[in-house]
Amino acid sequence: MDLWQLLLTLALAGSSDAFSGSEDSSKEPKFTKCRSPERETFSCHWTDEVHHGTKNLGPIQLFYTRRNTQEWTQEWKECPDYVSAGENSCYFNSSFTSIWIPYCIKLTSNGGTVDEKCFSVDEIVQPDPPIALNWTLLNVSLTGIHADIQVRWEAPRNADIQKGWMVLEYELQYKEVNETKWKMMDPILSTSVPVYSLKVDKEYEVRVRSKQRNSGNYGEFSEVLYVTLPQMNQFTCEEDFYFPWLLIIIFGIFGLTVMLFVFLFSKQQRIKMLILPPVPVPKIKGIDPDLLKEGKLEEVNTILAIHDSYKPEFHSDDSWVEFIELDIDEPDEKTEGSDTDRLLSSDHEKSHSNLGVKDGDSGRTSCCEPDILETDFNANDIHEGTSEVAQPQRLKGEADLLCLDQKNQNNSPYHDVCPATQQPSVIQAEKNKPQPLPTEGAESTHQAAHIQLSNPSSLANIDFYAQVSDITPAGSVVLSPGQKNKAGMSQCDMHPEMVSLCQENFLMDNAYFCEADAKKCIPVAPHIKVESHIQPSFNQEDIYITTESLTTAAGRPGTAEHVPGSEMPVPDYTSIHIVQSPQGLILNATALPLPDKEFLSSCGYVSTDQLNKIMP
Amino acid sequence: MNIKGSPWKGSLLLLLVSNLLLSHYIHNLSSEMFSEFDKRYTHGRGFITKAINSCHTSSLATPEDKEQAQQINQKDFLSLIVSILRSWNEPLYHLVTEVRGMQEAPEAILSKAVEIEEQTKRLLEGMELIVSQVHPETKENEIYPVWSGLPSLQMADEESRLSAYYNLLHCLRRDSHKIDNYLKLLKCRIIHNNNC
Repeated sequence: MDLWQLLLTLALAGSSDAFSGSEDSSKEPKFTKCRSPERETFSCHWTDEVHHGTKNLGPIQLFYTRRNTQEWTQEWKECPDYVSAGENSCYFNSSFTSIWIPYCIKLTSNGGTVDEKCFSVDEIVQPDPPIALNWTLLNVSLTGIHADIQVRWEAPRNADIQKGWMVLEYELQYKEVNETKWKMMDPILSTSVPVYSLKVDKEYEVRVRSKQRNSGNYGEFSEVLYVTLPQMNQFTCEEDFYFPWLLIIIFGIFGLTVMLFVFLFSKQQRIKMLILPPVPVPKIKGIDPDLLKEGKLEEVNTILAIHDSYKPEFHSDDSWVEFIELDIDEPDEKTEGSDTDRLLSSDHEKSHSNLGVKDGDSGRTSCCEPDILETDFNANDIHEGTSEVAQPQRLKGEADLLCLDQKNQNNSPYHDVCPATQQPSVIQAEKNKPQPLPTEGAESTHQAAHIQLSNPSSLANIDFYAQVSDITPAGSVVLSPGQKNKAGMSQCDMHPEMVSLCQENFLMDNAYFCEADAKKCIPVAPHIKVESHIQPSFNQEDIYITTESLTTAAGRPGTAEHVPGSEMPVPDYTSIHIVQSPQGLILNATALPLPDKEFLSSCGYVSTDQLNKIMP
Repeated sequence: MNIKGSPWKGSLLLLLVSNLLLSHYIHNLSSEMFSEFDKRYTHGRGFITKAINSCHTSSLATPEDKEQAQQINQKDFLSLIVSILRSWNEPLYHLVTEVRGMQEAPEAILSKAVEIEEQTKRLLEGMELIVSQVHPETKENEIYPVWSGLPSLQMADEESRLSAYYNLLHCLRRDSHKIDNYLKLLKCRIIHNNNC
């Protein structure tokens, strides 16, 4: 019991002491706060005294003074307005407010100074809170989870920002609604600021407060702005999907470049050919001048053989036969002449020097199919100069030769293969009237002729064309001596035989022939088989010549008479193939022999063509 | 108050604006320098009360509130600004010298002091140029307050010395704020015709 009383007494004593202490401390009013909201007025507040004790402080007064000059005036003035700022306050309006002048105020009660404070107005500037807060959405992230907003506000109304009297800086704070701690941003001088990375599904609170720059304190916070970001699920899908055109283009270019380099540097020639096909180089087949210079007549021979009217020495191909057909030139085919014609009459209208070409007889098909063969031969004529195709070309040439000789050229002076007395020994079938002859016979005769012709021993190379050994710079051709048995030679040699045999005449158009010979030949060779698609323009009597008879005739003379002729350095007749020259070759006068007796003997006169041939 | 027929050409207005930027810059530096000094040396030691006393430029009759600043004529206004700037040449020079001479010279304070001194000179030149253009009749020799606080900066007593520095930096902050404020009001007056 006693202990409890003691404790109670102590407690009471302690509380009473405390009570008395607080009472004492609360007796004197104190300045709580002095504030200037706009730097034009200010007010001071003090505590309301609580009189619990016996002391009576009396009315509280506030006195102020300000230092105008270096000296304190020490003239205390009383507060001009105790009312406007509320209880226990003193309000100083603009007339009493000086900015860069320090103030001192004191609080008195019953004459005794209770509290005192000195300051300058700039130090107590505390602006009002900003107003008119609002926010706008800046953008939403691609994921749709975060968003950025822009928060705007206005300066408090009473702050004279425009004239520059006050310069305010602001501080924005925000937080989620259910959070407790505010996030603060750095002070800014403008009245709008972006806030980044707010979560879309959360609600936020935003508040702003202002302060005078470089002095004073922050004012109160503005009203809280609630930010609710709209849920944009549909936007998320749209924004997420975008076609990466740029990536596709970049990767496509990169891939193509890689593939290109792989192809370029790869060893696969096939692929390389596919990607980068070689550009065909134009090939002009002709005779290599070196061959002519070096005297490689073999090669030249083969090359020349490509041309139609050239007969090489070797005629071992049976296929030769099929090419040999008697041509019956059509009247309108007069422009096509034999090689010799063209050779000897270079000034003729034959602009194309492709001998035998006009016949269209490339040797590949029947002789007398000018329509088909003409163009082909034309095309191939110039370009064929290689010995590769010498063999078939030879055949072609042979065929052409035969066919050409068979043809009749109307107006063109025809120079027989053999300028000898007779007409060229080449089988000629000229008729104005196409004589339908069995093809078979012709073929057989062709074959026979071929065989005979290919007999080098007898007829010797039916090349009644001379071989060109050289081409002079002037463009004339030097014929090689003793190269081959000229077909012309052989056939020329044949001529007397033939003439003697069958009085067969190889007639070309415009060629003169002995009527006697012609007459002789006519009955003898009634069965000349001629197949001609090309009718030689032979105005003379129709002469039918059988190849067979020809061959036999050709074979008969043998080489006896031929030999001397063949050994002649230069045949009495030359034909020159065109060698890359559209003008043809001009026979070298020196190379031409004087006309043989053969030439003159048979008919007793020489045709102008023959004459021209001899003496170009 | 806008003087009609004033010679405020475009170039002068640009100069005014550039001076305004300078004054803004100087005030910022002064405030920072003062804050750093206070935090470092004198915080919570009651220097505020003592510093209220003396700024050497207090003798100048400058506008003390907005109304007065709006009522003062332009010529006087400009003259006052120039006077204040002139009066700070010497104190700033000594401030730099003394701070540099301190042992453990605070680099932050020293660099700011150096910068303030330099920029204040430039601002003075700019303002003098404006005055010579706008009010060419203004006399060249204007009276300006003289600072005599050098001995106090060199006092041996640390307390006194710190108090002197505190006071000097406090006054510098105040005057730079004053000049910045004046130029803002002047800009509104001249460029916007007081309708900012």
